[in-house]
Amino acid sequence: MAEEIRFPRLGWSMEEGRFVQWLKSDGDLVREGEILFEMEGEKALQEIESVGNGILKIAADAPQPDEVVQVGRLLGYLLLPNEKVPEDGSPSQPTVLTDVQPKADEQGPQGIEPAEDSISESRVIATPRARRLAQETGVVWSELVGSGRDGRIREADVRNAAKALNVSSQGVHKDGANRFTPRRKMIAERLRMSREQTIPVTLTTQVDVSQLVAYREMQKKMQNVRVPAFTDLFAKHVAIVLARHPAMSIRWNHDHTELHDVPASEFHIGIAVDTSDGLLVPVIRDVSTKSLDEIVSQSKALIEKARSGRLTREEMSGGVLSITNLGSFGIDAFTPIINAPEIAILGLGAIRREPMFDAYGQVKAVERMVLSLTFDHAAVDGAPAAAFLKDLVSEIESVH
Amino acid sequence: MSNMDTHIDRKVVLQLYRTMQLIRQTEEELARCHQRGLVHGACHTYVGQEAIASAVCSNLNDHDAVFSTHRGHGHALAKGMKPLELIAELFGREAGCSRGRGGSMHLFSPEIGMMGTSGIVGPCILQACGGGYSSKILKNGTVGVAFFGDGAANNAAFHEGLNMASIWKLPVLFICENNQFATEVPFAYAAGNSSVASRGAAYGIPGIEVDGNDVIGIYRVAKEAVSRARAGEGPTLIECKTYRTRPHAEGMGDFTYRTKDDVEQWKQRCPILRLRTRFSAEYSSEFDAIDQEILEQVRAARAEAEASPEPTSESAMTHIYSPPQIVVKEKPSPDRESKVITFSQATLEALTEEMAVNPNIFVMGEGIGIRGGNFLTTKGLYAIHGPERLCDTPICERGFVGLACGAAMTGTRPVIDFMFADFVLDGLGEIINQIAKMQYMSSGRLKMPVLLRGCIGIGHSAATHHSGSYYGMLAQVPGLKVVVPSMASDAKGLLKHALRCHDPVLFLEHREILQTKEAVPVDEYEIEFGKARVIQAGSSVTVVAIARMVHLVLAASESLKQQGISVELIDPRTVTPLDSDTILQSLAKTGRLLIVDEAPAHCGFSAEIAARMVDVGFNELDAPIKRLTGAFCPTPYSPSLEKVVVPSVEDIVKSVVQLMQE
Ligand SMILES: Cc1ncc(C[n+]2csc(CCOP(=O)(O)OP(=O)(O)O)c2C)c(N)n1
Ligand SMILES: [Mg+2]
Repeated sequence: MAEEIRFPRLGWSMEEGRFVQWLKSDGDLVREGEILFEMEGEKALQEIESVGNGILKIAADAPQPDEVVQVGRLLGYLLLPNEKVPEDGSPSQPTVLTDVQPKADEQGPQGIEPAEDSISESRVIATPRARRLAQETGVVWSELVGSGRDGRIREADVRNAAKALNVSSQGVHKDGANRFTPRRKMIAERLRMSREQTIPVTLTTQVDVSQLVAYREMQKKMQNVRVPAFTDLFAKHVAIVLARHPAMSIRWNHDHTELHDVPASEFHIGIAVDTSDGLLVPVIRDVSTKSLDEIVSQSKALIEKARSGRLTREEMSGGVLSITNLGSFGIDAFTPIINAPEIAILGLGAIRREPMFDAYGQVKAVERMVLSLTFDHAAVDGAPAAAFLKDLVSEIESVH
Repeated sequence: MSNMDTHIDRKVVLQLYRTMQLIRQTEEELARCHQRGLVHGACHTYVGQEAIASAVCSNLNDHDAVFSTHRGHGHALAKGMKPLELIAELFGREAGCSRGRGGSMHLFSPEIGMMGTSGIVGPCILQACGGGYSSKILKNGTVGVAFFGDGAANNAAFHEGLNMASIWKLPVLFICENNQFATEVPFAYAAGNSSVASRGAAYGIPGIEVDGNDVIGIYRVAKEAVSRARAGEGPTLIECKTYRTRPHAEGMGDFTYRTKDDVEQWKQRCPILRLRTRFSAEYSSEFDAIDQEILEQVRAARAEAEASPEPTSESAMTHIYSPPQIVVKEKPSPDRESKVITFSQATLEALTEEMAVNPNIFVMGEGIGIRGGNFLTTKGLYAIHGPERLCDTPICERGFVGLACGAAMTGTRPVIDFMFADFVLDGLGEIINQIAKMQYMSSGRLKMPVLLRGCIGIGHSAATHHSGSYYGMLAQVPGLKVVVPSMASDAKGLLKHALRCHDPVLFLEHREILQTKEAVPVDEYEIEFGKARVIQAGSSVTVVAIARMVHLVLAASESLKQQGISVELIDPRTVTPLDSDTILQSLAKTGRLLIVDEAPAHCGFSAEIAARMVDVGFNELDAPIKRLTGAFCPTPYSPSLEKVVVPSVEDIVKSVVQLMQE
C-alpha cells in the first residue's frame, strides 16, 4: 500500500512551516529512519525521518524548496516497486501524478529490489549553469531540491533560492526584491503571536556588574579558552534567583489556557542569537544543575549551530526565561518581547563605567548596566516581578 | 619499331642521356641515403625505367601538366625539378619540393608543370584528363600527361579516364610504364588482356606499344602524340614495356616473385647503356663529361639537402585551405529590394551570374547540358555557354570528379553536378585523397576551386540510394568545405561564395526544400562560410538544425510558442567550417540545446555540435544537450517506413517539451 508523506506539525502552535528541501530524490529507495526532507517549523530547521520503507514518489504538486506549506499537505508517497500512486491519494490534483518506475540503474539484477549499495547514494545533482549561478549568488546549491528530471537542480531553482533566502550579506538583493522572506515571516508571526497573547510590562533598573567584569578579566588573564559571556553569567544567576521566586518560574501550556510551575531541575534558559538568517533563541539546558563551565560550552555550541543554521526545533524550545543582550550596540534599556510560552525575558544593556557613592559617601568608579525585564502581566503581577529583579540585582552585586 | 634509320639531333641525344643519367645517379644516391636512414618514409626508385620520363618530358614545356605516381622521382627530375628539391623532400626538409609535407609519393612543383605525384594508384590518369580539359577551356595549347604503372591499367580510373579523353578529344598522353609487376603481382596474372596498348582501341584512341628501354623510340612516339594533342586530335595511349631493376621500394625483399637472373638480364638492357652504346662513336667524350658533371651535381645536392633545415613546426597546419576570400558584397539588409523565389531559382541565379563573369567555370554532370539538369540546376545555361562549359558526362562519377581535380589544379573552376549526392560516394577517393588534400600537400601552391554539388535528403520514397545526407562524414575531411543551406537567400549567397573561393566545396541541397520560397535580395551578394544564421530569435531553448530540419523546426516552434516555449533557431549553414560562436551565444542565453538533424546521430554533425558545446559551453548548460536525429538505418521506401526514420514536426515538439523538463 502506498504510504503518504505529509507535512508534519512540529510545535503546539504550528499551522504552517517552510518546506526546505528533499534529502531524497524522486525514485530513491527509502528505508525507515532515513532522513527524508528538511523543514523549518517555528524558528528551527528540522530533519524529518521516514517512518516507512518504499520508493519515494514526490507528489506532482509537492512544495518547491523554501515554499511555506500548511501542516498536513501531501508531499509524496512511499511506494512498493511497480506500485502506482493511488488515484484518490492526493487531496489536490491526484490526476497529475504518474506511474512510478524505480530508476533503471537502481534496479537489482532481476529488476525487483534496488541493489543494496545504491541506497546510500543520494547524490545531489545540479546543472553546470545552476552551479555557476549558485556561486555568483552565494546560494548553497547542494541544499536545494531540484525541479529538473530526477531532482536535478536547475538554474531556476537557484534563482528562486537566491530570491527567497536572505543572502543580503552576499549583496545579491536587487533593488525592489522582497525582503520579507519566509524565515522573516516566520519570526514575525511568532512575535506577533506573543504580542497578542501576552500583556508585556517592562521594568528597568541598574546593576553594578564590576564583579562580573573583574571575574571575566581574570578568566581572560588565565587564558581560559572558555571565558563566559555576560549572558552566560546572567543565565547562571537568573537560575539561582528564579529558584527563590516560584511566582516567576512558571510557563504557559500549549494553548495559553493554563500556567504550570517549572521545577528548578528544569530551568532551561533561552539566549537570543542574532544570525544572518534572523533572530534565533536556542535554549541552555539544566542551568541550575550545571557548572558555569558546562553552561559556557553549551551556549558556545548553540550559538555556533544557530549561526550555521543547524539548530533543531528541540534545541529552541522548553525555556523558562530568555535573556537578550543589546549591550554591544550601546543600548541601555529596551522592551524585549517575551518568547512565549515563557512568561518573562531579561534584556541586558551596555556596560558603562560610572561614578558612584559608596556606603561611606566616597565616589568610586563602577561598571554598570541597565536590566530590562519584560514580564507577562497576564501570568504574574508587577510586585513579584519587581521583587525578582531586585533579588537578581543584589545577587549579581554580591558576586565576589 | 626501329629508329636506327632516321637521323636524331645531337642535342636531343645528349639531353636525353643527361636526363637519364641525372635520374639514375639521383636514385642511386637516394637508395644509399635510405640505407643511411636519411629518407624517413617510402622510397620507390625509377632505376631501369629512366628512358620513359626522359623521352616524354623532353617533348613538353613548363606549361604542360604532368601527373604522376608513387614511382615519380624520375618524372619530377625529367620535368625539370632540381635534384636538391627532390632529395630534400625525401629527407623531410624545408627545401623539399613539397616543403617536407609529402616525401617520395607527394612531389609538387606546379611552377614547372610537375602537378604532383600520388600515393594512390590511378588518380593521375583522371587528373591528366582534367589538365586536358583545362587546356580546352583556357585554349592555351597545353597538354596533360599521365605516367602510371601496369597496375593502374587495371584500375577504373584508366577505363573512365581513357573514355572521357576519347569522347572529348582531350589533349592528353597516357604513358603506361609496364614494368610487368604491380609490387609483386605479375601483370600477366592481373590482366585479362596482357596488352595495355591494345586497350586504346576499346575507347577509340590510338594505343602504341614501345620498348620502354629505348629512349629514342619513346621520344619519337611521344613527340608525335604531343603534336597530335596540341593539334586537337585527342589523346594517345603509349605502353612502354620496361622493368625496374631495384625492389618495389627500397628495403623491400625482391626475390619472392622474380629471380636474380631475371633482374640481371634486364640490367643488361639498361636504357642508359643502350643509348651510350648506340652513340658511342659520336659522343663518347660528351657522355663522359655528362657522367662526371651529374655525379658532382648529385653529390652537391645531397650535401646541401642534408645541411638544409627541417620545416618549422608552425607550418604543420598551414595551407589546409586557401587564405579566405574577402567578401565585398555582404547580404543586404531585409529592407532592401528583394523578390520571392524558390531555393532552386536562387542557386540557378548564382550559377548563371558567376558563369557570365568567369569564363573559367565549367559544369559537368549527367543531363546538365541541353536538359538543364535533373533538378534544373543549369537551366538555360547550355544555350548561353555551349557544350564545353555545360558538359554532359558518361556515368563515371569517379572519373569526372578526378578530372575536376586535375582541371582545378591547372587553372579552371569545375562545378560537378552529382544530381543525387549519393553518387558522390563513387568519387569519394578523388574527393578525400586528392581534391581535399591537394592544397595542403602542395604547400598552398595549388588552388583547388572545385564545387561539388548534389541533392540530399529523405522524402517521397526516394529510397536508400537517392536520399543520403553525407555532410557529417565529409565534414571530417580536412581541406573540404561543406555547405548545407536551408533557405533560398542563403543558398544563393553561399553558392556565390563557393564559386569565388579557392577551396573545394561540397554544396548539398535538400531535395525536399528545392521548391521552398524566400525573399531573396535583388542586389548582388555572397555569404561567407562559417557564419550561422539565427533563423528565429527565442529565449527558452536553442535549437540547431540544418537543411530541411530548419523548416520543420520553424513549424514546430509555432505550436511550442502556444505552450509558452520560445525557440531560438540556428542554422549553421556550413558544417565545415562550423560556427560554434553563434551557437554558444544562444546557449548562453537559453541554457538548453537541442540539435535536430536528419542524418544519424552517431559520429555525426549533431555529435560534433554537442561535443563542442559541452566543451566551450559547459557552464551555460542547464540541461543535458539533446539530439533528435534520423535513425541509424538505410532509408526505406514505403511511406509508412520512411516516416519513421526521419524526425517529424511532432517529434521536434515532443523533444523540446521534454528538454524543457530536464
Ligand atoms: C589504390 C591503391 N591501391 C593499392 C596501393 C598500394 N600500392 C602501391 S604501389 C602498388 C603497385 C603499383 O603497381 P604499378 O601501378 O604497376 O606501379 P609500379 O610500382 O610497378 O611502378 C600498390 C598496389 C595504392 N598505392 N593505391
Ligand atoms: Mg608495375
